[in-house]
Amino acid sequence: MNTLMGTIVDIHSSDMISMINVDVDGDIFSSIILEGKKGPFHYKLAEKAHLLFKETEVGIAKNLSGLISFRNRFPARIKKVETGPVLSKIILDYRGKWIESIISTRSVGDMGLKEDDHVEWLVKTNEVSLMPIPQ
Amino acid sequence: MIRVRAKKKLHTSDGPMELDVCFESGVGEFVTLFGKSGAGKTTILRMMAGLSEPEEGYIEVSKEVWFDSRKKINWPVQKRSIGFVFQEHNLFPNMTVEENLHFALQDKKDAGMIEALLEAVHLTEFQRRRPAQLSSGQKQRVALIRALLRKPKVLLLDEPFVSQDLELRLKLQEEMLDIYKRHNASVIFVSHDFSEIFKLSDRILVLDKGRIQKSGRPDEIFAAQTISGKFKFPGVIVDMRQEDFLYIVTVQIGNNLTKVVAAENEVRGLSTGDHVLVAAKAFNPIILKAFPKENQKT
Repeated sequence: MNTLMGTIVDIHSSDMISMINVDVDGDIFSSIILEGKKGPFHYKLAEKAHLLFKETEVGIAKNLSGLISFRNRFPARIKKVETGPVLSKIILDYRGKWIESIISTRSVGDMGLKEDDHVEWLVKTNEVSLMPIPQ
Repeated sequence: MIRVRAKKKLHTSDGPMELDVCFESGVGEFVTLFGKSGAGKTTILRMMAGLSEPEEGYIEVSKEVWFDSRKKINWPVQKRSIGFVFQEHNLFPNMTVEENLHFALQDKKDAGMIEALLEAVHLTEFQRRRPAQLSSGQKQRVALIRALLRKPKVLLLDEPFVSQDLELRLKLQEEMLDIYKRHNASVIFVSHDFSEIFKLSDRILVLDKGRIQKSGRPDEIFAAQTISGKFKFPGVIVDMRQEDFLYIVTVQIGNNLTKVVAAENEVRGLSTGDHVLVAAKAFNPIILKAFPKENQKT
């Protein structure tokens, strides 16, 4: 599981769903959660929260151009590529933080991913879990 | 209806502490006392049983006053309609299982219950054995059904499932819950086992330093402190295997075996038998009708 820590800077809610923006050292991450104006709500502006997302939900892009709906896309440098028969693990240096991605070994080959490549990593808002940090 | 108000000074490993609690519980309600050791959970059970006396307060069960410090009422243990299972099970060593159970009967007309209860906890073949010939899990099961024989209004259970192995524990929990519901007994339960508490409790009282800090349904109590996933279940790891960079973790959730794919850093520190919380974003699961439409009853 990848974990980042940040501060909640924006909450946009409908009755049962909310989009929460979290500032992680200047980058804004979005998470969609199943809590809204109706029912209990566990998040507050300016509170600290952990962002959690699985390695298998992190995609990698190279020379990405055009528009894409993924809100969470950030630049990183590949620190290491470990390949297995079906899956590969890409370890990323994202502004000094460690992010892991597990993608197919075929994609690693097709994209020619290797150490020191500059890439972008992406994760969908509905794959990001939020865990408030008690104050 | 149970009404408890109790104050008592205790000496814990962290020094002196004042227990000061007040709670009510409905008939047939399953209430769990949850908190760190030394929070006062066992003392509350002992006070309800009449084994420990509050300095101030009252204990009332179905309009009977068992204890009232002002009116100087203090019913002895044997007069209180309770069944209790504590970690030490206190069976008579010189009697067989059957004899232990018969001895516990208040009304000999209820002897018929014994056979059904023994069967429910898979001990029918062991009824002629003495406690020394039983495993600690088996002794605990005898204690669990013995507690029911007096048809108590209140059952006080202090970690009653600890000595059971995983598979039996899950089965026992379900069967005991069913039996308790049928007898309409109110249960006051102490446990540290997250999945057990989640499964069994109607309500949880969170105790800290002798006070009730929070009270609510299990999902209310635990939801706030965990992650945003709405798809989450407590379970037990039964198997873990590595495949490429991933681990395939088999988790028993209720009676179902599920598989969870996890990265190395997620499984670090986990092993078979560990209790875990499995969570996913509510957006991920796919929902499908279990039967074709034409086969469903309307």
